[in-house]
Amino acid sequence: MLRRFRLEEPETVREVSELLARFGESAKVYAGGTELLLAMKEGLVQYERLINVKKLKGLNEVKLDNGTAHIGALCTHRQLETAPVLQQRLPALVKLEKNVANVRVRQVGTLGGNLCFAEPHADPGILLMALGAKMVAEKSSSKREITAEAFFVDAYETCLEADEMLTEIRVPVPKAKSGVAYLKFGYLERPSVGVAVALTLSDDGKSVGDIKIAVGCAGPAPKSVPESEAILKGKSTDEAVHRLAEAGEVAGRAARAISDLHGSQEYKEHIVGVLLKRAFQNAVSQC
Amino acid sequence: MRFEKEVEILAPREKVWNFIWDVDRFIACVPGCKEAKTVEAGKRYSATMVEKVGPFRVEFPTTIEVLETEELSRIKAQASGADNKIGSRMKIELNVHLREQDGKTMLGFVAGVDILGKLAALGHGIIKRKADQVLDEFAQAVKKQLEGDS
Amino acid sequence: MSKAMSRRADTQTIPVSFTLNGRLQELEVEPHELLLDVVRERLGLTGVKRSCDVQVCGACTLLVDGRPVSACTTLAFEVRDRSVLTIEGLAEDGKLHPLQEAFIEHGGFQCGFCTPGMILAAKALLDENSKPTEDELKHFMHGNLCRCTGYKKIIESIMAAAKKMRSAGY
Repeated sequence: MLRRFRLEEPETVREVSELLARFGESAKVYAGGTELLLAMKEGLVQYERLINVKKLKGLNEVKLDNGTAHIGALCTHRQLETAPVLQQRLPALVKLEKNVANVRVRQVGTLGGNLCFAEPHADPGILLMALGAKMVAEKSSSKREITAEAFFVDAYETCLEADEMLTEIRVPVPKAKSGVAYLKFGYLERPSVGVAVALTLSDDGKSVGDIKIAVGCAGPAPKSVPESEAILKGKSTDEAVHRLAEAGEVAGRAARAISDLHGSQEYKEHIVGVLLKRAFQNAVSQC
Repeated sequence: MRFEKEVEILAPREKVWNFIWDVDRFIACVPGCKEAKTVEAGKRYSATMVEKVGPFRVEFPTTIEVLETEELSRIKAQASGADNKIGSRMKIELNVHLREQDGKTMLGFVAGVDILGKLAALGHGIIKRKADQVLDEFAQAVKKQLEGDS
Repeated sequence: MSKAMSRRADTQTIPVSFTLNGRLQELEVEPHELLLDVVRERLGLTGVKRSCDVQVCGACTLLVDGRPVSACTTLAFEVRDRSVLTIEGLAEDGKLHPLQEAFIEHGGFQCGFCTPGMILAAKALLDENSKPTEDELKHFMHGNLCRCTGYKKIIESIMAAAKKMRSAGY
């Protein structure tokens, strides 16, 4: 049984923001509840009020606009699995969403909720970071865009202000001659290591153009790895392959892996290297 | 969980030793620690520890017992507390040592920390990281207090 | 004293009107009530089980608007204006659903504890994809755990039911 709470059902973002400002830490945004309700059942958190945001309109759509996919924060994982826009232009994200938890969680859990709960062992943030996604946060009076790097602060902590709500995720659609890969390693439903690579090849297809690498699940929050990117960027694909081990080691350390029941720090760092190698080669083969 | 920290303080040993027993100022260096009280000078103290990891918040009313002391060099203490709201208990075994090195004082801590109950569900790794952060901030705060004075 | 009367006057309740196994139900629930408890305790339908309570095992699977949800982690008010299907609602006029028949015929259960959830999840799968490959079946069903059978018979049962359902025009 859950402890009693009051349900608020606002219909605009402004109302949500006002409720959050008014009730502070005793109120929490509630969408799918797949992580929140579990924490509440465990007694780890308690709220006097839950703010049901599912009555807000327009936040559960996927739209393509000028090379950017606009994903409403209230889109469920299941919606993202099946969205035609994403199937055509962001198949790597579709594949990731298909493999989040289980079919029941995907049915009601939202992408926004997943990102805001910022559970360390989560997939979407990592790929979104490698794709250069931006999060849109709104409150009563303003709206701002936040890079994925700035969004994830620490385990269970985002940079959202107390009265802000995540409303949209904007993902630039990869151009032609690009490859995107997300690979994870884990036990049952909990991923313990996740690596995302998004890259483009040069026009002649022989060298690495732009490349973005992000790692997560092993440490407290998703992390982009510019040092590994620098090792591979601009190199011929052959040379890049030879330098994958080095890039993998750097990425492993960047992951800030924590030893726990999923594995030791060293083991997770090693897996980061393995997944980076495979993700890189997978992404190159897509180009 | 076991933690070891050593911090170099540009202050003489007596000053550091005396600072430790100045309970209010010492406790003020522990992030999240408030309401420090002396129950029995030199033997028993109480404080409230409040820590947060994202949305998860714990408040431990804590009792600190000094088990052994060696003037100017060593303290062994035990702290324990329980947060009934969140169904968790905390136990810390703390060994503090001071030694002089080239006119500076090396202040070292060895802490054995046990978290029992629901909080452990957060994951050993997250708690370890948080505790590490707290100890780091603590050591730096002590250093700042002592060096800032002179 | 009924549960409604024992509530304090200022307790928030939410009216929930929904179809349960094809019939209209009207209840008042408090925001914190879980669907699993309402279905089992208030509506007396105990086919749905509380097992892991953290929506990993699938024993609490119910279909809401034909889609599988974890009743243990669903607030009851969320089914307002929706249709809910429990295992008790699968057979029609005493005639078992092809999935139920297949599970019996092919030995898809031993202790039976995971079975209501397993069958409902399988129904959701086949309603969406009437001819799943074994990989598609496993992917969909991977969140429904069984400690007895080793899954082989479950897969056989579902595949057999799928075949039957296709030829019967389900």
